[in-house]
Amino acid sequence: MIRRYPVLLLLALGALVSLLLALVVGSTDVSIGALRAVLSGEATDFQRLVLLELRLPRSLAAFGTGALLALSGALLQVLLRNPLADPYVLGVSGGAAVGALLVIMLGLSSALVPPAAFAGALGSTLLVFGLAQAAGAWTPERLILTGVVIAAGWGALISLLLSLSPDTDLPAMLYWLMGDVGQGGTPWPALAMTGVVLLCALPLGRSLNILARGGLQAEVLGVPVRGLEWAVYLLASLATAVAVTTAGAIGFVGLVVPHMLRLIIGNDQRVLLPAAALLGGSLLTLADTLARTVIAPEQLPVGVITAILGVPVFLYLLYRSR
Amino acid sequence: MRRLIVLFLLLSLPLLAGAGAVRVQDDTGRDVRLERPAERVIVLAPHLTELVYELGAEARLVAVGAHSDYPEDATALPRIGSAQRLDLEAILALEPDLVLAWDSGNVKRPLRRLEAYGVPVYRSEPRQLEQVADNLRALGSLLGAHKQGERLAQDYLSELARLTRTHVDRPVITVFYQVWDQPVMTVNGEHLISQALETCGGRNVFAALSRLTPRLDPEAVLAEDPEVMLASAEPDGVDPLARWRAHGRLTAVERGNLMLLPPDILVRPSSRLLHGLAALCDALEQARARRPGN
Repeated sequence: MIRRYPVLLLLALGALVSLLLALVVGSTDVSIGALRAVLSGEATDFQRLVLLELRLPRSLAAFGTGALLALSGALLQVLLRNPLADPYVLGVSGGAAVGALLVIMLGLSSALVPPAAFAGALGSTLLVFGLAQAAGAWTPERLILTGVVIAAGWGALISLLLSLSPDTDLPAMLYWLMGDVGQGGTPWPALAMTGVVLLCALPLGRSLNILARGGLQAEVLGVPVRGLEWAVYLLASLATAVAVTTAGAIGFVGLVVPHMLRLIIGNDQRVLLPAAALLGGSLLTLADTLARTVIAPEQLPVGVITAILGVPVFLYLLYRSR
Repeated sequence: MRRLIVLFLLLSLPLLAGAGAVRVQDDTGRDVRLERPAERVIVLAPHLTELVYELGAEARLVAVGAHSDYPEDATALPRIGSAQRLDLEAILALEPDLVLAWDSGNVKRPLRRLEAYGVPVYRSEPRQLEQVADNLRALGSLLGAHKQGERLAQDYLSELARLTRTHVDRPVITVFYQVWDQPVMTVNGEHLISQALETCGGRNVFAALSRLTPRLDPEAVLAEDPEVMLASAEPDGVDPLARWRAHGRLTAVERGNLMLLPPDILVRPSSRLLHGLAALCDALEQARARRPGN
């Protein structure tokens, strides 16, 4: 197994590079020289505008969103003891999407989209948890089945909303569903939430490692399984809710980043969680930079890029590790 | 002599039978043939509904597609699904003898099936401002309002020519037209809106892009720094240009050239387009007056 701290250091370096790249690359010729000018206070108004008001918040939002998705995926994979778990498996993104699309369809102010998405995400979380718990003790299987079924329900509602909406609303709806970091939102909720999740989850690292091997075993070893599972579920759901609220439903990052890291550094949650935050953040930042430069000045949906980048890398790691 | 009369009658038979027959070419180059002007018409796009009302042929409408909201009376007509999901069963049940469709706005397969069932389909796809006149003429013929169609087409063309003449020599002013704010979307040079801009002496800063309605990186808009930013007003009063107002250093913001146009009329190729065009030319004229040194 590769040593931990060098890996974390390397990932942190990668994160810095990806953020730097996001700042100096774009559809206009504002680049590294402009960054130097901004730092020395000699930049033109336009350079400051592009770097500080457009690219900086956008790349931070991408980083925060990617970090949250990867964290949430890692936590849910432990909680559900299921390698297919991703941040959306329990229906959180579906609930958020229904909230957001309703606002768009009713023609309400676009400022209401994020709060509605957040409400939808939390509502879905509570619904799934309430249902899974209604019959007494819940098991990971019960939780995941409930989540998948609720997610399917949201999927049907999304199709219904799309088909009932006037054509003029469709571009906004589709881009929301495909995920878009450039929605102009502030990056702070995502970054702050990343910090909160890491601060709460890292002290639980040892217990999470035991839980990952199975609930029964954990109980025998004196881990308070119920409380731990509650905490993990709450953290993962909040992380997903904030991520979806910031940038819509961006797939792939949450599923694959934790697996990629497990293949490289093993399944120690104390290293895996911060590593997932760094790699998820870097990957999404990089993907968003590509999304806005490949066919500039036009833009691609960022989810397309995350998958195109991630699939070959993941497959390579998977088959190399055999 | 009797023989001659019989011969004359025989010769004129095809003419008599063909007296009501109509044949026009639609915007996609297809021939649309009717044995007589249509009596039961279904319209699948809002601009076509407007054209039918302009021709005074609304009595022939049996149903309209979703979003046909102008003129007011059109909202009372029976509805027939949305542009994307045509209800073939309902359309056939109304026994139309003509369907007016919007080539790029309606799904194509159901239209082909309608034709296979023997229902003639006219496809409208105006890509030039002048083509609205072609639509008026063609629909006039198809709906037995030939003269009215010809007259409306003439009126349209002469008003268009007048607006063009008035603005052709005006100084060129750079314009960003925003069709959608979240994500930011604009139109390229092929779009009718872009041609309207040119008619008024504006230059669409994104005319060269390849797709009809490209989705943009906001910083590209800032880099172009157009003199005018335009959008259609939203019915709920939300300002679609709000995001740009925060950037006080933009030329358009500095000069107060973030302007909203009346909704729909620039987007719908009917005669109302000319009102939209006039409003657009006025807006650009105001923007020219705000140039420094004026």
